[in-house]
Amino acid sequence: MVDDWSQAIQHDVMRIYRAKRDEAHRSVTLKYTILGFISSGTYGRVYKAQSKDEDARLHAIKKFKPDKDGDIATYTGISQSAIREIALNREICHENIVALKEVILEDKSIYMVFEYAEHDFLQVIHHYSQTLRSHIPHDLLKSLIFQLLNGLLYLHDSHILHRDLKPANILITSTGIVKIGDLGLARLTYQPLQPLFAGDKVVVTIWYRSPELLMGSKHYHKAVDCWAVGCVMAELASLRPIFKGEEAKLDSKKNVPFQKDQLLKVIEVLGKPDEREWSGMKNTPEYHNVKRLDDSPNRLDAWCKQRNLPPLAINFLSKLFIYDPDKRMKAREALSHSWFQEDPQPTFNVFQHQLNTPSQLPPHRRITLDEAPSMMPAQPTHAQHFPAQFTQPQHLPGQTHGSGTSLASLSVGHGGHTRKKARLG
Amino acid sequence: MATDFWASSHNKRWIIDRASLKQARSEDLRYVESPEHVDFLNIYFANLIAMLGKRLTLRQRVIATATVFFRRFYVKNLYCETDPFIVIAACCYVAAKAEESPVHIKNVVSESRLMFSQEGYGVKNFPSDNSKLAEMEFYLVSDLECDLVVFHPYRTLLTLCGREAAHAVVSEAGEVGVGIDNGPRYWGTGEGRLELEEGPLQTAWHVIPPPPSTLHSTLLRPKTDQIRALNRFIINDTYRSELCLLYPPHMIAIAAIYLTLVLNDKTREAIQAQTASSTPTPTPRRSSRTNTSSVHRKLAAAPQQQQDFVGFMAGLRVSLPTVAMIAQEILSLYTLWERYSDAAPESGLGQSAVGDTAGDDVVTPAFLTQLLLRMREARLADLAHPASAQPMAVNKRLERTQAAG
Repeated sequence: MVDDWSQAIQHDVMRIYRAKRDEAHRSVTLKYTILGFISSGTYGRVYKAQSKDEDARLHAIKKFKPDKDGDIATYTGISQSAIREIALNREICHENIVALKEVILEDKSIYMVFEYAEHDFLQVIHHYSQTLRSHIPHDLLKSLIFQLLNGLLYLHDSHILHRDLKPANILITSTGIVKIGDLGLARLTYQPLQPLFAGDKVVVTIWYRSPELLMGSKHYHKAVDCWAVGCVMAELASLRPIFKGEEAKLDSKKNVPFQKDQLLKVIEVLGKPDEREWSGMKNTPEYHNVKRLDDSPNRLDAWCKQRNLPPLAINFLSKLFIYDPDKRMKAREALSHSWFQEDPQPTFNVFQHQLNTPSQLPPHRRITLDEAPSMMPAQPTHAQHFPAQFTQPQHLPGQTHGSGTSLASLSVGHGGHTRKKARLG
Repeated sequence: MATDFWASSHNKRWIIDRASLKQARSEDLRYVESPEHVDFLNIYFANLIAMLGKRLTLRQRVIATATVFFRRFYVKNLYCETDPFIVIAACCYVAAKAEESPVHIKNVVSESRLMFSQEGYGVKNFPSDNSKLAEMEFYLVSDLECDLVVFHPYRTLLTLCGREAAHAVVSEAGEVGVGIDNGPRYWGTGEGRLELEEGPLQTAWHVIPPPPSTLHSTLLRPKTDQIRALNRFIINDTYRSELCLLYPPHMIAIAAIYLTLVLNDKTREAIQAQTASSTPTPTPRRSSRTNTSSVHRKLAAAPQQQQDFVGFMAGLRVSLPTVAMIAQEILSLYTLWERYSDAAPESGLGQSAVGDTAGDDVVTPAFLTQLLLRMREARLADLAHPASAQPMAVNKRLERTQAAG
């Protein structure tokens, strides 16, 4: 018997190792109670969970899609995006970035356990546009942007480009702290072994994509995130995306097409980029295509005034919308802009001025039963009592919990437009 | 993070002390005749990673990262209870992704199979199934605690040796950013950069020139071209040892710079001239020590030469005794390495596996593969027989896995 055993072992030496590791493993469900399903995306699914530790803290657990070979999950290698998100999150630590508590590798799936954030920018935008039908108060808008930039400065100082900033990816805790999330497309740019373009042909969701990317630049830097911050700020001010273009799809050979419609949307507001102001423009692959587009005057000023932005805010936004990426305002410069010195000044709790009028506060994140095969415990017909678990107010008093007002999704776009960027390679 | 070593997972969780390292190898040491054999295994596996990396056309930094992953894995695991060959393949596969230059899993599997099955390595049962490697990756990432960002001495080298960085753009483009501003240094040194000249210093440092350099002729006996290509950098060489677990990368880089300075004829003469004019040197015990102690000396009286090497080292504000210790370890690595020959698999030469006696014989990959198999068999026997550890527990575990798979 020992002989059989040792033969088997010599054949697959790692058996002992795996047995040891599997035995020591503490599973996800042993550590956390899954409360409900939050959202899904190309990467997998996100769940709301509560720690079984004494602190009973809330978490968002991101479960990467297990690879499937037919119906059976198999090991096919961890995706580049998961490796990135895990590797970067293990290194960083900042108040304005969603903290990773742990990663659990279990049963061919990867679970990333994050701190829980009750709200996100997209949800705030919807709350004001659908429920309250009013502008986002200027103090709230300013605090949101300030904290967003504070987190972004940390990423950029750490040589990390986010490359997917958009309202759905910027979260807010119930205590009003902005947290940048989803580093799935982020990457370290310190001494890269390959040009950034080699790894990912397309980065940043189309509406937030900077002109240099739209024009096909293969080398780019932090300024792509700064442009996205400008787009987010404009969206907070007008409650709809400022440059809402249609994405031209990749052709069958996976060539990246000219993003004409998106560029036209940008030009409608900012006018055509001027070679005298952006000398590098001549070197972009789409230069000749852009030259052919019709010009229009820069009407950003008027656009902002319609949305009641004060002069300093307009100045601030116009610097984030500078065409030349080298001249565009960077996070550090932005944080010391005089807009932030002017009253109302940004607050630690972004909802500081809304606390007295709870109806101004966005609703809690809606969670649902997971309709797909999942980690939710099997519960036969608990549809009535299940919602009770998550509609009870936890931190913020007196909210509306109408299901129509909150968003079911973190990362799936609104308005029927596809917000997802194509991921290649 | 990319610039702050002190805040990194590398510094916080993966610089371990000598006692822990000893503890990690203690079980393996029970199954070898001489403790040296474990050191030879360390060299052997690092060489395999480097060679597999070359076959996969991985950059040097990726190979270095893979080696660090491998070392970290074996802080927690035993050579005699695992299969280092699949661990090596998984380390290369994950490192390529972690360094943003991924390779397809299929290529890693086929190249590993090809290489390891060669005569001399004698690994016949490397799995052909991608999922086996992917499964290993899963366990590996878990054992690495998902800490996948690794710091390397190369960066310190490029920052410290100012002009060198400019040359390196051509020779070692991999270590240089594309249009990105360099971050601040992360070890808080004094000021100034070491100006490296076109002459022997640079070549001894970067590429060992065809006419044997001091370093090469005194420390390494001639090897095949392919192997020599792998031996080109002192820093690369340090990955054959476990130094990357014991010391921060910038200290290893400084030790390598120090070795280059004292082993290169021209720079050694310059240093000697510089120090001779100051107080007399204490009686030398060993050549490397002489220079270590001279490094400690203040350069006040030193004549103003074109390069103040002593001043440069003294100005680094790092522990020079530690630098000297690392340098000593690198030297003893070379001494050991000299007795290791892996010319066999590629050229078909030297298949004469040496017997069990450690002595001063040459150690080959074939011998080490056999050694590993014997270690594993002995370990299994120990696990199976009630005389040693807790066989019942192991049997239960085994039944479970057999039932599962």
